[in-house]
Amino acid sequence: MLFSSISFLYFFIPAIILLYFIAPKKLKNAVLLLFSLFFYAWGGVKYAAMMVLAIALGYVFGLLIERFRGKKISKVFLFFAVASIISFMLYFKYTDFFIENFNAITGLSIPLLKIVLPIGISFYTFQIISYVVDVYRGEKAQKNPINLAAYIAMFPQLIAGPIVRYSDVARELETRTHSFTMAGEGTRRFILGLAKKVLIANSMYDLSELIYAAEEKTVLMYWIYGISIALYIYFDFSGYSDMAIGLGKIFGFHFLENFNYPFISRSATEFWRRWHMSLGSWFRDYLYIPLGGNRVPKWRWLINIFAVWMFTGFWHGASWNFIIWGLFFGVLLVIEKFFLLKYLEKSHVLSRVYILFAVITSFIVFQIPTMGEAFTYIGGLFGAGGIPFASAETLYFLRNYAVLLILALVGATPLVKSLATKLSTSAKLGKVVNVLEPIMLVCLLVVVTAFLVDSSSNPFLYFRF
Amino acid sequence: MSTKIKNILNCAVMAIMVFGFCALFLLLPKAEFLDSERREPAKFPEVTLESIMKDGLEYGESFMKQFDDNYTPDNFPFRDFFRNVKAWVGSNVFLQKDKDGVYVVDGIAGEMQEEIDEESIAHAADRITFIYKTYLEKKGITPYISIIPDKGYFLSEQNGYLSMDYNEFIEKMLGSVEFAEYIDITGALEASDYYASDTHWNQKYLIDVAKLLVDGMGGNHNSTYVENTLDVPFYGVYAGRAPKPLKPETITYYTNENMEHVTVFNFEKNKPGSIYDMERAHGKDAYDMFLGGEIAKLVIENPNAKTDKELVIFRDSYGRSIIPLMIDDYAKITVIDTRYQIPQLLLMGVNFDNADVLFLYSTLVLNASSEMK
Repeated sequence: MLFSSISFLYFFIPAIILLYFIAPKKLKNAVLLLFSLFFYAWGGVKYAAMMVLAIALGYVFGLLIERFRGKKISKVFLFFAVASIISFMLYFKYTDFFIENFNAITGLSIPLLKIVLPIGISFYTFQIISYVVDVYRGEKAQKNPINLAAYIAMFPQLIAGPIVRYSDVARELETRTHSFTMAGEGTRRFILGLAKKVLIANSMYDLSELIYAAEEKTVLMYWIYGISIALYIYFDFSGYSDMAIGLGKIFGFHFLENFNYPFISRSATEFWRRWHMSLGSWFRDYLYIPLGGNRVPKWRWLINIFAVWMFTGFWHGASWNFIIWGLFFGVLLVIEKFFLLKYLEKSHVLSRVYILFAVITSFIVFQIPTMGEAFTYIGGLFGAGGIPFASAETLYFLRNYAVLLILALVGATPLVKSLATKLSTSAKLGKVVNVLEPIMLVCLLVVVTAFLVDSSSNPFLYFRF
Repeated sequence: MSTKIKNILNCAVMAIMVFGFCALFLLLPKAEFLDSERREPAKFPEVTLESIMKDGLEYGESFMKQFDDNYTPDNFPFRDFFRNVKAWVGSNVFLQKDKDGVYVVDGIAGEMQEEIDEESIAHAADRITFIYKTYLEKKGITPYISIIPDKGYFLSEQNGYLSMDYNEFIEKMLGSVEFAEYIDITGALEASDYYASDTHWNQKYLIDVAKLLVDGMGGNHNSTYVENTLDVPFYGVYAGRAPKPLKPETITYYTNENMEHVTVFNFEKNKPGSIYDMERAHGKDAYDMFLGGEIAKLVIENPNAKTDKELVIFRDSYGRSIIPLMIDDYAKITVIDTRYQIPQLLLMGVNFDNADVLFLYSTLVLNASSEMK
């Protein structure tokens, strides 16, 4: 089930809110779990059964690791836990990729299995892994299977993140408070996230598709494509994270932030501190540091860096373009680390131009499935092939999406947030803002509903994740 | 107002919206027909174990996907209101000029036709040439051709929308069927001669076009008519797609005394037909009242015609509304639509003696002519 759907907003939400808040405290996690399983099963009943199996493995191995903590067997259990849980993801996500490449290398033609990827598998796999590793490292194992299952399957973050660490919500799984303050803030965050997804991200996607379909492309079109794709991915992803964080608050959880205005970064290093932060920190804590991090010889450190970025790319999808996308950032980070960072810090303008260009280029690779085509698009940014700079079609697209592009570009900076914070904390205007906020939210919800009722496109970015 | 009250209000507005519309969805009766979109809403999907268990590549056919994508949006309470909200926001807040290629200028909706489809022109020309070579050339008949521009001809470029070069299109088409004599009707038309919410032209404004065609084929059109108005609102194909709400329209149709004595025969159903089908006028698409909708072959005979000449007209849906205005000028009109049957079958029994032959097609069909047989 998608957050951006009528079914979710007007059937699922009222049903869970009603049952969750009338349920006694000790049954709240059970209600959350049941609804989360229903939410997931809505996208495929068999996949929900598989997720339950993965959760059961995490639960049992967690208990075993804790039971034998400090003994060698504990490490063996950890190995089997990680191997068994990751094998689901390997099978569903990467089998066809490996067959395809094996065929290409050997000249064989082993038929592809045409396996469809269960949505969210990459997110819950990483959550289960983080749980068993944390237990191995000393975190208390969760004895109550419902609590653990409620954490892993929790619908707000199940299909698009953020990747919530067990340690971050362990206490709230046992005991949490609910208040109008949290629910009100959560509602605001949810509706804003929904609007980011439905109004901005979907429009940016439509624009990119129009350009993708245009027969005679121009330099300006390639730039609009790159910018619209970068904005689409950002608003879709961060919109989903906002919705997850907002829903979490309504149900008494505090999920960590996942995006922090990444487009204002001045280096790739900073960009990844602001972009999909839960994934970056997961790879840091569960791969990079276990590999030795930077406390190893330089050659080994380089291997660690490139391994982490290769896997970061590969996590996003079983395709070479994702691997290259990840490695591209790996290369940038290494270059920055060696010498570029100090120059970037000196110039506010050049550093921003550099990272925005790098990000736009990277998202072209991210979005376009074949590398050949991606390079055509990147070449097109510089007029490769002698294409014209603009055309009547280009200017029409630009004119037609100008307001949405401006809204998206401004919305990708902290400008609106800081303005809203200033107004709401102002002694004079604070009260007016308080009155206007609920009105604005209801208007946004009506508009979002209108766009969903009369929907022409509602792309789902995470079907390859 | 304090922050605490604001947060309570945030919760309240969300609750009122989601619980309220959930209740309305469940309680309100569902529409049988979506008038403004000229279609039936999606029905509640079939609930079977098979439809629930579908996943992976088959998920699109599952109960859940049908429920999400079709049933709930189609049956959402006040659907038309929400569609109007979307249209309003699109054009007044996001300042978008079109919605999926459809635009509205001065209350008239049009659709951007950007590309000239050379293959389509070649196919249409090939089909017209086939008829000419097989049936007309040996008899020394020079057919006439007239091309009906779609509304984009009058609206697109002039209002900053993407547009193909219509003159180039017409030139290309005519260059491929040089055996035919062209009757230019573009000068007799303007955007307001079409329904505001539909692709088709409006019979109310076609008397001068009918005269151009009839006179262009050597006749002398001077009929008079009584204007009639249909008692049902008409929503054209753009009503459901336009970026701004479009008002329901009225269908006007002309009659005269001669029409009362005309016989119409529907060869597709092998039964009598009608010039204006009042049953279809009250159906899903009121424009189907003209000659009873899309019928591959009709023969109209007028015992009181001014001449004993016949007309064989190859047409698309535009032709249906102008043909009634040509009835006085021909003793017999054979109306052929080769999109539904092969011409060899449709032209059985048609001898073309003493007949004018007219190919009357719109740019919309000629630029997407794959259905022409």
